[in-house]
Amino acid sequence: MASGSVSITIKLFSALREALGESEFELAISDISKASEQVDVAAIKALLSQRGAAWKEALNQPNLVHALNHKVVFTDAVVSEGDELAFFPPMTGG
Amino acid sequence: MSVALQTEAIDVAAEYTQLVGPRPGAAVATFTGYVRDHSDQHAVTELELEHYPEMARKVMWDLGQLAAERFGLSNWRIVHRFGLLAVSETIVWVGAVADHRGEAISACELIMDTLKTDAPFWKREQGPAGEQWVASRDSDIARRARWQSGETQ
Repeated sequence: MASGSVSITIKLFSALREALGESEFELAISDISKASEQVDVAAIKALLSQRGAAWKEALNQPNLVHALNHKVVFTDAVVSEGDELAFFPPMTGG
Repeated sequence: MSVALQTEAIDVAAEYTQLVGPRPGAAVATFTGYVRDHSDQHAVTELELEHYPEMARKVMWDLGQLAAERFGLSNWRIVHRFGLLAVSETIVWVGAVADHRGEAISACELIMDTLKTDAPFWKREQGPAGEQWVASRDSDIARRARWQSGETQ
């Protein structure tokens, strides 16, 4: 990978983690950050959806929650280098 | 004013003593949640709680501060467990100290109603019928919405 590559941390929880078999990984977003001025959560979802049918289905569930740096956001939230983006189903604590 | 995430059972008596301190103020309300032996449709023998530690801590802290500001709390604490829990074990404990009972009780209610839908924990039930993730409930979402709509004071 070329030096200066831009990456973020992806985290998956609960049923999403189980369905996709991963809990945390680094994602290089150099290509999409070169192609557009701003990279948002929707762009990251689109990039990850290219990993296969399971990813596409899991990341496009209507009730999917996205948290950017520990705060729930909509898909238009802008993602920057070093950010932590988490995907998970609705929360059921308490 | 503090939060705790822990695997061990919640020592409710110790938590209460520490919350109240030597001067109890005027009104203290607490809530303790336990693992039920059943869900809507089937028996439950164990509960597994997955969580997102950094975000859970932040959400719990922000929620405590929100309740403190809204209800003028002089002290509050939120304790939430994670990991494997047996039936009848504690899951969550909330304590609030205020000048009047209404504020203390409402603070606990606000914290619990919001915690259920906004704090990143996921319950997985285990029972004779197998394992399954607990689905979010419309009634929980409705209870949480009351605090935003102005329906509550």
